[in-house]
Amino acid sequence: MAIQLQQVSYIYADRSLWKQTALHDIDLAVPQGSMVGIAGATGSGKSTLLQLFNGILKPTGGSVRVLDVTIKAGEKSPKLLPLRRRVGLVFQFPEQQMFEETVEKDLCFGPLNFGLSLEEAKERAHRALLDMGLDPALLARNPFKLSGGQMRKAAIASVLAMDPDILVLDEPTATLDPLSRAELITLLERLCREQGRTVIIVTHRMDELLPYADSWVVLEKGRKAFQGSAQELARDPFILEQCGLTVPQSLRYWRAVADRFGLDNEAPCLTAESLAERIASLCAQPEEDGRGERDGYE
Amino acid sequence: MVMNEKLLLGRSIETGSWVHRLDARAKLTGMIVYVAIILLSRSWLALALLAVFSLTVMASTRIPLKYFIKAAKPLRYLMLFIFIVQMLSVKEGAVWFSAGSFSLHEEGLRLGAFSVIRMVFLITFTALLTFTTTPGKLNQGLEGILSPFRRLGLSPDRITLMISIALRFIPTILDEAQIIMKAQASRGADLQELSLKEKAKMLVSLLVPVISSAFRRAQDLVYSMEARGFRMDARRSRYHRPKWGGADTAFIAMFVVLGIAIVIL
Repeated sequence: MAIQLQQVSYIYADRSLWKQTALHDIDLAVPQGSMVGIAGATGSGKSTLLQLFNGILKPTGGSVRVLDVTIKAGEKSPKLLPLRRRVGLVFQFPEQQMFEETVEKDLCFGPLNFGLSLEEAKERAHRALLDMGLDPALLARNPFKLSGGQMRKAAIASVLAMDPDILVLDEPTATLDPLSRAELITLLERLCREQGRTVIIVTHRMDELLPYADSWVVLEKGRKAFQGSAQELARDPFILEQCGLTVPQSLRYWRAVADRFGLDNEAPCLTAESLAERIASLCAQPEEDGRGERDGYE
Repeated sequence: MVMNEKLLLGRSIETGSWVHRLDARAKLTGMIVYVAIILLSRSWLALALLAVFSLTVMASTRIPLKYFIKAAKPLRYLMLFIFIVQMLSVKEGAVWFSAGSFSLHEEGLRLGAFSVIRMVFLITFTALLTFTTTPGKLNQGLEGILSPFRRLGLSPDRITLMISIALRFIPTILDEAQIIMKAQASRGADLQELSLKEKAKMLVSLLVPVISSAFRRAQDLVYSMEARGFRMDARRSRYHRPKWGGADTAFIAMFVVLGIAIVIL
């Protein structure tokens, strides 16, 4: 397991008038090399959960085990710097954390902090930029002069340059245009499938991640409401509504098709294209179970 | 995101006490009178009376006393400094201690103690104003108090707009700074785990993003205000209209009575 949470709770501003419980008794296991989506309404504790993964926040209850580091509530935590290198945490709007005058310098910031030589850092920066599908010519540019999508990717590359085993992203596609969004998700999937990194993504747009994620975690008011594969989620997508989320279109359509044709036992088709193909193949087949897909048309 | 709990500046704590319900203008006037009273208190007896009065009012807000103390805590070194300077510079009264050219006088100690006590009262009691008044109401009150100056060419709207925007964005920018700090910590620049020299270096990685985002915010704010037709010094109607009641007059009277009593003492 890359990440294992046991009965983790987190309270902000404990022992004060503004005390606020963000997470209650969360048990969670994320296998190595998997791609996980985290969904939940605003204020459900998603961002808090992410910050536990690299020790930015320490649990106020329970224990967090990430790779080989264990952080227990109430105990002095081990040195966190090595963990931070191995768990790349990308906050919302990461482009707002860039500060150097060139993209290269910004990308080298992380690796240098973790004790790499300048040569190695530059090499990492170059590779990270390629991994994010950006032109290495951008290295010499000022990050504030890039387009929104490029800046976002460059900022993610600045975390990727640390060569983390686990990449955690808080709404990486927010405010991007549809094309950049799709591109970014594909790039992130490649990092997971080709390089074996564990990728955890918080998203408000489940639709764009549904075809790719191995499993999903759904939070509701600081509690875990669901953890399982997309297939399990497709079986009963209406749990999302109970958590204050809208059911994504892909799940809604799949649910309708699966109900109509009795397809509950197969992997759901969660993109428009794959679903269209599946329906086409269903329609081309002769009726087997006598459910009469085409009644009214003959 | 939850704000830094250490920062009490400009934060109201709702308990619904009678002080909370007072008109902001009354509270502001009360505070101005209170500051005058502090400056007029020149004897131990006057200070004792002031203490009884202040503590009674603080207690009646039903806000735990420790929040008032917390408000004064950041200034403890300044108070210490003032105490020491007063103690060393005043050379009057009986000598308590002397060594060579150095000597401590009774009057110096007394004045030092007085300054510190006055300062504590000043801060803790005026914290009451921000604790019991939401920033919006406070601003309205301020505008009310400043409105006579309109004749002198001063624009109360401008001043209160400036103050209200500043107050409004303190928590926002602090939150943002905190997120950026966390983001940089995730990139290996954890302020808590670094030496002082490295910390100074990291400051750049914090300041540049915070300042650039503050500018971005300012720009956005200007656009959105203009888009909604905001004009400086235009006549505006109010959503919450302040109402002056008997309690407000009584509140100010209370301070005036205290002031007279202290002058007599």
